[in-house]
Amino acid sequence: MSDPNQLDAAFAALANPTRRAILARLAQGEATVNMLAEPFDMSLPAVSKHIRVLEDAGLITRGRNAQFRPCKLNAAPLRAVAHWTDQYRHIWDMRFDAMDRIISEVKDTKDD
Amino acid sequence: MTDQPSWVKIRRAFDAPIDVIWSMWTKPEEFKRWYGPMGMSIPIAEMDVTIGGTRKICMEMKSPERTMTMWFTGVYKEIDAPRRLVYTESMCDADGTLISPQSMGMPEGAPDITEVIVELTEEDGRTMMTMVHVGVPEGTAGEGGWNQAFDKLATLLV
Repeated sequence: MSDPNQLDAAFAALANPTRRAILARLAQGEATVNMLAEPFDMSLPAVSKHIRVLEDAGLITRGRNAQFRPCKLNAAPLRAVAHWTDQYRHIWDMRFDAMDRIISEVKDTKDD
Repeated sequence: MTDQPSWVKIRRAFDAPIDVIWSMWTKPEEFKRWYGPMGMSIPIAEMDVTIGGTRKICMEMKSPERTMTMWFTGVYKEIDAPRRLVYTESMCDADGTLISPQSMGMPEGAPDITEVIVELTEEDGRTMMTMVHVGVPEGTAGEGGWNQAFDKLATLLV
């Protein structure tokens, strides 16, 4: 994904538990808005609004079937988000391993 | 904007008192020792650990053919010794001028500005550390007080 605005939209869309739950449901297969709304204690328009945010972020696509327009997961922006966080987790883990080693070195010197 | 951007969160316990871990983050000579493992060294770490103070870090990787350097700058936003430290990080050149991560070969989508939040607590001589590294999407900068931070940074770099 090359458009930074789309990545911003993906970050913002993912920062909401309802929207993450909707994506988790769609990971199992496409679903209509009614099906997606079922587990939530909120109005259909409220759920539709969340779906709109996900759609604008490019995280889901809607079918052309006029009456039901089933939602489908589009995983490409998710991969871009995951890439950044995974990379940094790895870098920090290595740094903190190094911090641990320095701490034990200092300890050993003191114990001698 | 109340939505939070993406982040990396790491929790670690260290077998050392809280003051030791705090100085690992805030004293340049100690920071240099752990921050650049695996073939990278930190020849330069300038840290003005005051609110609005700047930091500038140089990472260096030496190979027989050439030496590669990467520079990072940022400002300190919160300092509550020895419990909480918040600072920003961006890639820059040796003069401290901000540059885009993509121009340094980072993947598309790598944020221009990131924020590191460190929280420490001590228990029985051990330190629990929670580190959160947040990617700050473009466009949220003004609302988060980022503009002031970078105005300050800009005046310091002139």
